[in-house]
Amino acid sequence: MLEVKNISKSFYRKIALDDVSLHVNQGEIFGLLGPNGAGKTTLIRIINRIIEPDSGHVRLNGDLMTQKHLSQIGYLPEERGLYKSMTVQDHAIFLARLRGLSKADANRLLDQWLEKFNIGDWRKKRIEELSKGMAQKVQFICTVLHEPNLLILDEPLSGFDPINVELIKQELIEMRAKGKTIILSTHNMKSVEEICDRAALIHEAKKIAEGSISELQEERKAGIYAVKFRGNMIAFVNALWTGFEMIDKDILGDDRFEVRVKMRGDNSFEDLLKVLIGQVKIEAAWEVLPSMQDVFIDLVQGKKEVADVQ
Amino acid sequence: MFNSGLIALRELKERIATRSFILMSIMGPLLILLITYLLFTYGGDGKQRWRVLIADPAGIMENKIMANEDNSVSYSFADDYLEMEEFRDGKRFQEFDALVEINEKVLSNKTVFVFYRDKPAVRMQTRIQFQIERRIEERMVDEFTDLTVPEFRKIKQPLNVAFRNANDPLDESSDKRGWVGFFFGAMIFTFIFLFGMTILRSVAHEKSNRIVEVLLASVNPRQLMLGKIMGIGVAAFIQFVIWCFVIGFGLYFMREFLFIDALDASKIDMVQMTKDVQEQTTFEQLFAAREYNEFVELIYERVQFSTMITHFLLFFIAGYFFYGALFAAIGATSGSENDGQQFVLPLIFLLCLALYAGYFTLLNPDSSTVDWLQYLPFTAPVVVMVKLAQGYAPGEGYQLYLSLIFLVISAIIMLFIAGRLYKNGILQFGHRIRLITIFKWLKKS
Repeated sequence: MLEVKNISKSFYRKIALDDVSLHVNQGEIFGLLGPNGAGKTTLIRIINRIIEPDSGHVRLNGDLMTQKHLSQIGYLPEERGLYKSMTVQDHAIFLARLRGLSKADANRLLDQWLEKFNIGDWRKKRIEELSKGMAQKVQFICTVLHEPNLLILDEPLSGFDPINVELIKQELIEMRAKGKTIILSTHNMKSVEEICDRAALIHEAKKIAEGSISELQEERKAGIYAVKFRGNMIAFVNALWTGFEMIDKDILGDDRFEVRVKMRGDNSFEDLLKVLIGQVKIEAAWEVLPSMQDVFIDLVQGKKEVADVQ
Repeated sequence: MFNSGLIALRELKERIATRSFILMSIMGPLLILLITYLLFTYGGDGKQRWRVLIADPAGIMENKIMANEDNSVSYSFADDYLEMEEFRDGKRFQEFDALVEINEKVLSNKTVFVFYRDKPAVRMQTRIQFQIERRIEERMVDEFTDLTVPEFRKIKQPLNVAFRNANDPLDESSDKRGWVGFFFGAMIFTFIFLFGMTILRSVAHEKSNRIVEVLLASVNPRQLMLGKIMGIGVAAFIQFVIWCFVIGFGLYFMREFLFIDALDASKIDMVQMTKDVQEQTTFEQLFAAREYNEFVELIYERVQFSTMITHFLLFFIAGYFFYGALFAAIGATSGSENDGQQFVLPLIFLLCLALYAGYFTLLNPDSSTVDWLQYLPFTAPVVVMVKLAQGYAPGEGYQLYLSLIFLVISAIIMLFIAGRLYKNGILQFGHRIRLITIFKWLKKS
């Protein structure tokens, strides 16, 4: 669907992107992650042809990106504005027409979206009369109104209350089901885990990781397993002996616990189960994968430590 | 181009819906009409009625003066000496605006002093001088000739000395018409400044509320800038058309209903005037009427409005694009709205320079400086309007179109340069604008 190839961009002496390549598949939600100032917004602007790269190129469905492809993209920037003096309908139709939609189609689709979000009575309201959250919804509608195949959303959930966060998430999942491709740039790692299929992490102008969410988590797993059991905690700890290390525990009831154990040496999950069977009554056991938050911190800090050593 | 059109349409809708646009469309021309009305009515006279005391101890004027029925000046006589200090400070003289001192030797030295409290307008000075002069003339006719006053008036015909351009001898009032050209030029710059500032504010506002990033994901910066300039320009044009209609209708209304006689230049007949010269009352009326009609005739008879308005539009459009692109570039390169305001100062200076160039042209129409000022894009709109109103000498008409061509080319170049600044500056926020940065942006494609 979207291929970013060897993109580099610098602003005078500051390198914003250094040979960044990534691939986004049709019908997936792709997380674009990275700390502040990493170069995500620059990359998004290049994809949207707002700025030009110094080198490299972007392809959409195999074609080199040109101005005519922009009508296939819906872009919601992080710092987004609206014309406050315009009404919701005028604003939405204006932006949709800029993206190539006819006035009649824009009107028809706007009706559908306003109805879907249950905000039909906002149609004639001026933007300045809306609250911040209401304006965010209007911005989202403006972004998707022209039915783009590729959505690029920069922090789309910021500013929404939990109910509306859920609403937008469900909307994105629904769009993915319809075959739309979504690039989601966010710092909300929980959302990334929940709705993203794949992600890339950009740090200090370079892409440092790319893959499916599970792949990224697998790569950074630390040999930690969770065991839910019924029995005596002292017997459990004694059984672990020196091959395993208990790193956390939750008391679920009088004699029920959930414990996270880290392997030592060459010990495996099977070894853990062997030493525990007979000592406690195991109800469940599974491998604990790192959260995307942990993956993010690990990748960014790991990179920093390497740089410090060098 | 379609997207530029959409941007332009949005800008246009936003501008014409504002209260200030509607107010300016109505109040602007009404203000000009009011000024015109006042000029017609009072002819620039600050005080409507003057009370003049004539101190004539020798009784030379015999307590008489020309009959005056327009009530703008009334005379009283004192047959005693009156010191200037006494007139100035004396309680009983406070009702008088001026003191005319007629000394015994006036018939020989022909000098009269007029002391005033507030300086009279030139027209009032002329009026007082005219009336005293006529009375002294009468006394001199009595004293030194055997003629009767009517006989003297027959002999004394007014002599008009007309200064004419040797290259254009038919041109009768190029100076006054030049002022009309200056007015048109000043109008161009007023509109350019007002709507140029609108461009600047609009660009800076879009930057500060970040809508610009959404727009740039659909249109390229040059399309956005061009659309904005066009939309605001059409709003300016609509306002100008409204001004033309309101002013045109107002002038027609004044001519037809308010100043039927005074505004009819054809009613002033110099031959008839000299025939009527025996009758002081008629003479006095004609004196006033002639004064009024110089302005009236200028407005209604001398100015070729169709030519002026056609060229006004051409130079306005080209000048607007030239300066509008500059305003847009300043808006795009500024880090904040306040930043932009500061960078407007050099532009205001340029606009003032252009107005001065127009004034210079008015005073020195044939100067060699004017020859190149009319080709400079910064000054061309006003200089050319003045020159056009004054009239081009035969064989020099090409200068008008050469100026227009230069201005159009300059506007295209300026749009290109401004487009580059706009493109590189529009997504820069909160920075301090520096000249070196601007040069870097100019070099970047």
